[in-house]
Parts: sequence; structure tokens; C-alpha cells
Amino acid sequence: MSNYIPTIGVEVHVELKTKTKIFSNARNGYGQMANSLTNVVDLGYPGTLPTLNEEVINLAIRAATVLNCKIRREMFFDRKNYFYPDNPKNYQITQSRTPIGYDGYVEIEVNGEKKKIEIEEMHIEEDTCKSAHRGTRTLLDFNRAGVPLIEIVTKPCIASSTEAKLYLEKLKELLFYCDISDCKMEEGSMRADANVSIRKNESDPFNTKAEIKNIGSISNVGLSIEKEIERQAKLYDAGETFKPQTRRFDDKLQDTVLMRVKETGNDYRYFPEPDIPFVVLTDEMIEEAKKGIPMLPDERRKVYVEKGVLETNANKLVQNRPLSDFFNTLLEEDTDFKIASNMLLGDISAYLNREEKELSETTLTKERFLELVKAYAEGTITSKNLKDMLDTILESDKSIAEIMKEQGIENITDDSEIRGVIQEIIKNNPESVSDFKNGHDRALKFLMGQVMKETKGKANPRLANEILLEELKG
Amino acid sequence: MEEKLTREELLHVANLARIKLTEEEIEKYRVQLRKLLDDVEKINEVKGYDDDILIACWDNNTELRPDTEGEMLDPKQVIENAPHHAGNYIEVPVVIGESEGA
Repeated sequence: MSNYIPTIGVEVHVELKTKTKIFSNARNGYGQMANSLTNVVDLGYPGTLPTLNEEVINLAIRAATVLNCKIRREMFFDRKNYFYPDNPKNYQITQSRTPIGYDGYVEIEVNGEKKKIEIEEMHIEEDTCKSAHRGTRTLLDFNRAGVPLIEIVTKPCIASSTEAKLYLEKLKELLFYCDISDCKMEEGSMRADANVSIRKNESDPFNTKAEIKNIGSISNVGLSIEKEIERQAKLYDAGETFKPQTRRFDDKLQDTVLMRVKETGNDYRYFPEPDIPFVVLTDEMIEEAKKGIPMLPDERRKVYVEKGVLETNANKLVQNRPLSDFFNTLLEEDTDFKIASNMLLGDISAYLNREEKELSETTLTKERFLELVKAYAEGTITSKNLKDMLDTILESDKSIAEIMKEQGIENITDDSEIRGVIQEIIKNNPESVSDFKNGHDRALKFLMGQVMKETKGKANPRLANEILLEELKG
Repeated sequence: MEEKLTREELLHVANLARIKLTEEEIEKYRVQLRKLLDDVEKINEVKGYDDDILIACWDNNTELRPDTEGEMLDPKQVIENAPHHAGNYIEVPVVIGESEGA
């Protein structure tokens, strides 16, 4: 197969996290009984009129802001006309000529280099009903009809499947953190289409493109792009061409399959929606929407690392929003952030997974957590103590000192007491001492084990380790 | 301006509207539709017409609706108004290979 340069553009539909639908006050919900979340507007009954949900505008402004888009101040909606049972009005209300956001970008990092994935435009539209094909019949559920969507369209500036995946991950993280959408691809609240074409040289004009529709996961977006590049390359290598077409990703085949060839261009006969007057955004609306933007994931990662958290842990924290939000409440405090992050991601996460709980369902407060981190940093509790105490810490309101007292945790932090024990151990284990002096590190571990055994695990490990080394070298 | 739409143009519009036409109708509508389109074209003669100007039916801007839930239909009412249903689903003949929205 010869080498070709791929050109990729990605379109993403994201369902907005509002309480009600975009043009009606029926509930915006998922996983409910079929056709139980609808009203006459969603079903397109004659004589009904759409009324625009203010929260949709609010969330769309927020999305446009975090995607670095310019925000249009005056806009209208368009009717996109088509006949299909998923839309009983025979048109979808969307924004074609005046998208709310345009000329934006999302920054990704590819092989250590930053790249801006440019966003052509971001518009608001209504979702259609969900259809399921059963033989010669189609079943329709209108619960999804009228759910607010934003569609985010990139320029054809993506050069590989890796870039496409990184872009989608970043997009998902941003929209999720800003409470714009759940971004659950498995439930369809985030759906991606990829446009793929390839050419021999940068100077060649773009070749025919294929659109891969409704891909169900980020990894499948990557895979379908790779398969599509391969398919097109084989055709060109064999001297063949193909017509513009729509394909879909088939999970079982792990490949793209043809849905339809686009014989003629889409003929949606767009025209301005006469039932919705112009939407004019004021400075106040824009400022209000921006207030809902929390510290963004990239900023969080940067701040955490500056505070001494390991990069891998900073990433793990950001991937777990409740933990990251909790961690953010500590940022102004004087504490050991490395220990704090280890505790949250280690023992505390293990507890939450085991008990299937959220952090907010435990009794942990910022104050008690700071007390715990301090006790650990100073060596008054060991990692074993932490494990023993954790359930009580997370299930009661008792102070850390109280719990330690209750559980008889009283660690030896007295320098001379530990030194005495260590000197005794060194005297009784001459072989291990000489092993250590001959460079056998395992001997040190053995001796530490003896110290812990002798003190019944109550010696401050850091202190004990320091004294042991001093005594061995001295 | 041609007097008639081409046969292909007319059939394309008929296809979009999902209507079947007889030969007689095709010939009749080629003339009628051309005349309609010519009338609509007159809008372009308006002075100062600019694609960037927003033109609405009235001067008021949209009043936004608060995001609070209202009454919904009972699924029974929904399926009552459909010619066919399967359980709570509305049932229609399958249409595959056509454009799907969103």
C-alpha cells in the first residue's frame, strides 16, 4: 500500500444536560418507558409552537467559551427539511446560517507537541426521535425528540486517527467538567461522525470523502478512520475511484460498511424558522453563562503538578471529577499535596470502589482530611494504621486524634526509644549487618522488618529508617 | 428564463416531496412550478438586499422559556393518535437508506 496523506474532519453531537427539552417543557431524560417523556410539541402536532429553553442558550454559550469560539450576538434558527419518520414535523429546527459559536479551537498534545484542532462552527439543534428497525417495521420512541443538542464541527485539519481520538477525549473532558453534557457515548449523549479523504501530496486538491456516521466510542472512531484510510488507499492503488458516500462502523466486523452513496448533494431546503423570533444575547447573559465554568482540566493538571503531585496522579485525579473537586478545596491550604493525592487515589479510592460510594456519601470533610494528611506526614500514623482506621474515618464524624486513641494507635516518634531498639537489633543480627555492608539491600529490609516487629509496628517508619541507616553506617 | 423546469428538476422535487406523478402532471407542473419560482425570484430585486441582514416576521426578539418541567402526555394518548403501535412504540413502515436527521 502506498503512502497517502489523510484529511479528517470530525462532527460531534452532544446532548445538553437541561431539565427540559429545547422547544418544549417535557422532561429531558434517558432510559425511561418509551414515549413517556413527550408532549404535543415534541410530537409535532398541528398548531403547536416551539418556545426556546433559556438553559440551552446558557449551556451553549458556556460550550462556545470553553471551545475558544467567537460568540454570535444575534441569531435565528433554520428549518432543515427532510422526510423521515424520526421527525414528524418533516423538518428539524437547527442553526444553519447563524451558528452560536464559530472560529474556535481545542488544543491537544500529539507526541509532546501542541496542536490546535480548529473548530469551524458550533450550533444548536433539536435531537430526533429514536428509531429501531424490526424487519419491515420501524419502532419510534419520541422521548429523545426535542432533546437539545449542540453540534461541533472541526475544520478538515485532523491528520491521523490518533489526533481524532485525542481531540474527542479533550472535548469530552471539557464538556463534562463544565456540566454541559454527560458525554456518555454508550448512551448516545455524545455521538461522533468522521469525514475522511486521502491524497498523495499536500499540494494535491482534496479527494472524494467518505463520512462515517454515529460511531459509538472514541476507540472505534480511531479504528474506523484507520480502516477507512486503508480502504481508500487500496482503491487508489488499484487505479479505482469511489463516489462520495456515507458509511457506518460495524462493531462485529470491526470495519466500516457502506450505508449509501450520495448521488446528489443534500437537498434540505433550509430556510429561517418563522416560529422563533431572533435570539439576541446580552452581555449579562454571556457573563452569567461564563460563571458556570469551573477550573478546567488542563489548569487543574498544571496546578496539581506545581503543588508537588506526580504527573500520573494529577491525570488520575482529573479523570475522577469528584476527587478532583475535593482536591481543589485543599489548594489554598498548607499541606503535603503528594501525600494527599496518594491517599485519595489509593486507600480512599479503594474504599469507594469496594463500597460503591461517592466521596460525597462519606463523612470525610476537608478539615478531617487535612488532619489525616498531617498525621501521616509527621509519622504519627503509618500506612497500616491508615488502612485500619479508614472505615471509621469515612463513616463517622470523629476526629483523627479520637479514632487513633480509640484504636490504641500510639506510634513511637521518640528518637531515643527507637534508637535503643535499633541498636539492640543490630547487635543481635551481625550477619544481616555484614550483608548490608556488602551491598545487599535486602538486608536493610530485613532489619527494618525486625524494628517493626520489635515495636509492634508502632515505630514511625521514616524516622526508624533514618536512624537505622545512621546506626549501620556509623 | 426557461419556460419550463427540466424533467429531471421536476422529478427531483417530486422525489423530495415523496409524490408520484403521472406523465400529464409532470408536464403541467414543469410550467406551474417554473412560474412559482420566478415569482419568488422577484425578492432578489429588492434594493439593498443583503444576505447578512437578519429579517424576521416581527420586531420582538425571542422570549426565553425557564427550564422547568410541565405536563407531559400519557404514552397511551401518544399511541392512540398513531395508526399502528407495538407496545408503547409507534410503528411505521421501515425506511432505510434515506437521510436521517441530526
